[in-house]
Amino acid sequence: MRKYAVIYRSVLLEHLQYAGNIALGFISYFFIIFVLIHLWEYMYESPDELISGYTKVQMIWYVMMTEMIWFGARSSSVTRQASADIRGGNIAYLMNKPYHYTLYILAKYTGEWSIQLPMFAVLSSIMGITMVGKIPGFHLLTLLAAVPCIILGITINAVFKLCISLLSFWIEDSNPFQWLYDKLILVVGTIFPIEIFPAALQPLLKLTPIYTVCYGPAKLIVDFGTGKYVEILSAQILYLFIGCVLMFFLYAKGVKKLYVNGG
Amino acid sequence: MLMAVKNQLRVCLLSVKYNIMREMLNKVTFLTNIGFMMLNNATFIVQWVILFGLKDDIGGYAMGEVMLFWGLAASTYGLSHILFARAFSLPDLIINGKLDSYLVLPKNVLLSVITSSTNTSSIGDFLYGLLIICIFAFRVERLFLFLLFSVTGAVILTAFALLMGSLSFWFVRSEMFGNQMVSSVINFSTYPDGIFKGMARFILYNIIPVGMSIYHPVHVMVHFDAKSLLTVLGYTVLLSAAAVFVFYRGLRRYSSSNLMGARL
Amino acid sequence: MDAIKAENLSKVFRVKQKEKGMGGSLKAIFHPRTVPVQAVDGISFTVKEGEILAFIGPNGAGKSTTIKMLTGILYPDGGNVEVLGINPAKKRKQLAYQIGTVFGQKEQLWTHLTPYDNFRFFGAIFDLPDAEAEARIRELSDTFELGAFINTPVRSLSLGQRIRCEIVASLIHKPKVLFLDEPTIGLDPVVKENIRMLIKQMNKEFHTTVFLTSHDIGDIEKLCKRIVIVNSGQIVLDDSMEHLKYHYLNKKIVEVKLQEEAALPRLSGITVLKEKGSRVKLEIDTTIIKINDALRQIDAEHVEDINISNIPLENIIMDIYKAEEAESAV
Repeated sequence: MRKYAVIYRSVLLEHLQYAGNIALGFISYFFIIFVLIHLWEYMYESPDELISGYTKVQMIWYVMMTEMIWFGARSSSVTRQASADIRGGNIAYLMNKPYHYTLYILAKYTGEWSIQLPMFAVLSSIMGITMVGKIPGFHLLTLLAAVPCIILGITINAVFKLCISLLSFWIEDSNPFQWLYDKLILVVGTIFPIEIFPAALQPLLKLTPIYTVCYGPAKLIVDFGTGKYVEILSAQILYLFIGCVLMFFLYAKGVKKLYVNGG
Repeated sequence: MLMAVKNQLRVCLLSVKYNIMREMLNKVTFLTNIGFMMLNNATFIVQWVILFGLKDDIGGYAMGEVMLFWGLAASTYGLSHILFARAFSLPDLIINGKLDSYLVLPKNVLLSVITSSTNTSSIGDFLYGLLIICIFAFRVERLFLFLLFSVTGAVILTAFALLMGSLSFWFVRSEMFGNQMVSSVINFSTYPDGIFKGMARFILYNIIPVGMSIYHPVHVMVHFDAKSLLTVLGYTVLLSAAAVFVFYRGLRRYSSSNLMGARL
Repeated sequence: MDAIKAENLSKVFRVKQKEKGMGGSLKAIFHPRTVPVQAVDGISFTVKEGEILAFIGPNGAGKSTTIKMLTGILYPDGGNVEVLGINPAKKRKQLAYQIGTVFGQKEQLWTHLTPYDNFRFFGAIFDLPDAEAEARIRELSDTFELGAFINTPVRSLSLGQRIRCEIVASLIHKPKVLFLDEPTIGLDPVVKENIRMLIKQMNKEFHTTVFLTSHDIGDIEKLCKRIVIVNSGQIVLDDSMEHLKYHYLNKKIVEVKLQEEAALPRLSGITVLKEKGSRVKLEIDTTIIKINDALRQIDAEHVEDINISNIPLENIIMDIYKAEEAESAV
């Protein structure tokens, strides 16, 4: 475990140097939220109207939180770099090192978001409070409670994205699958809360990773409830478990294939 | 003179052709890239189905018309990245001294640079745009307008990318800022202009070139208006001229000052 | 006639300086400090038509900067350049039709196309009519024996074949001057030799002037009649190869192994470099003492082994670099 902590620390320090660049990344976030604020301003006839149980302020904050998680956890380590390692043959050197390749990537990834996410959190809170106003009924304790959910959510996301990258053992270019996964999370869990979809679909959506990656943490921030909290946390732990099993399985299979075919 | 233009065009077309041929080397990857990009774009239809379920009009547009925004944005983006993909990675070329090899060839530097690579998935974007217009808002004259505006839009987007990328001639660290400005064009162009008011509207028509590349063209496709059409064409020419001017000013700096220590 | 003429050419780069730590980074954003670095410092030389010139020097000596100024990529800060009577900074495009460039390992060929298609592409870039391009490709293919692989995609060629094609592609428009920046860098000895032959042949058949930068002494020794050495942006030596060799190769190294230890006579012109038991290494200055006179001093009866050699060119050049550094340190 200690070696992963060392990897984490060195990536963290390295990324601290790019803090300026990361802050610049906020421009894109700003524009996206800017558009979505205008969109919801247009959709709501009056501020008190409820759409799928959300007030306008809640709806916008929901979107801001999911997008914040989305942007804060953005990383090329689990996607482009992992598939480049595999396709380019670099994996042959990395897999003989005294660590598990997938955990090495995840440690790196954690080092990356440890700077990105808090920065986005601060910047987006400032943006939200000045442009939309405070979340009604928000308590600092809710935020504290939501933090583990956010961390679990982005870790689950990384595990699934890494699984897709591991497909590179078999296919030339895993990018198209990444896009599709991203779009699924984006359209179904990020720009809308799950409640907005037809009632018949909702139980189905709750079974997908979307529920644990974006929806869960954001929902807790805008509208906290103890029952919901326990439900989301347990779903996340279950998902993390499933994801990791899948990840280790794919990796072991891929490495085996590499040994047989010699890359 | 005419001969020189003809030769220049021939070289550009050959470049684009060879770029695409290179991408087609692996047919499976080539086709999945295109196919998945179309599928990827199509997921956003879900978003609009949901939004139109909540309200009958959005920004004064019906579903079919909003799809025009999406379609035009996709094919504009697609066309610019099929033909001029390198314009979008100009800072890398500038900072790492990769413009050198274009400077020793007797052809137009700007055109040689921007046509020197392509992006496969953009073919999917372009086709997606065409498909959308055929499904949601087909009319023969509209298809012609759509193709025309895809070209003007692609030129505007490329010119804007050149302007932003050329910042790297003066400011080495401007790459990130420029990229974000360029991607903001795509972000704005997938939403109808009717939802923006006041200051936002001003910015979109005057600073970020979404108004002239997407919004105006969609208006013309919905209700034909010769004046708007000419405005778009004029704007395209003006912005391109500005981009060419700035690029060559920057190129002069590239050749004379060379701030970059790496190029010693 | 002179193909290349450079007079007092100079170029200063401004290199950004950053102080250490976070504070330094912040300061650099608002007040970037730059330090001038004189990359090329008033160099003058000429290259005659049909000549092969080696332009050598250690890393950062200003070789690449000079080649960039000669081809119009960089504008000089001072001095004059003329290549084929054209000022590269003013008429870059016009000059481009008449020169060829091969920049080290930067590949200009499309790897998924065949050499033939590549040559046609470059033909189009240089505005050659189809018939002329065809004829030229045939000529080049015959001269440089590309026939066997001219229709094989470049990515399937061996490295040597690929570099041959890179160089041939830059000859498609019959350039009068060819600039080669480190053409043999990273190649194995056989391929290197192959490329050198090609350059030599090209120079002979087409009378192409060649301006070559290299680290490889072999390139220089085998190809060039004239050598220009630069260091810290200045020319430290501009001489013919023959003269250089004559001038510096007047010293011979003699290594002798004797059957038993023997005292050697101390004569002027003979320096003992190393002496270890029965093995002796001598340097003989042939301007002071004739080689046969020197050898006569060694008792031939007791010689077990003898080896007489020139000082390697590499050492000579290293000495020139070092002498320059020692001088500038004073």
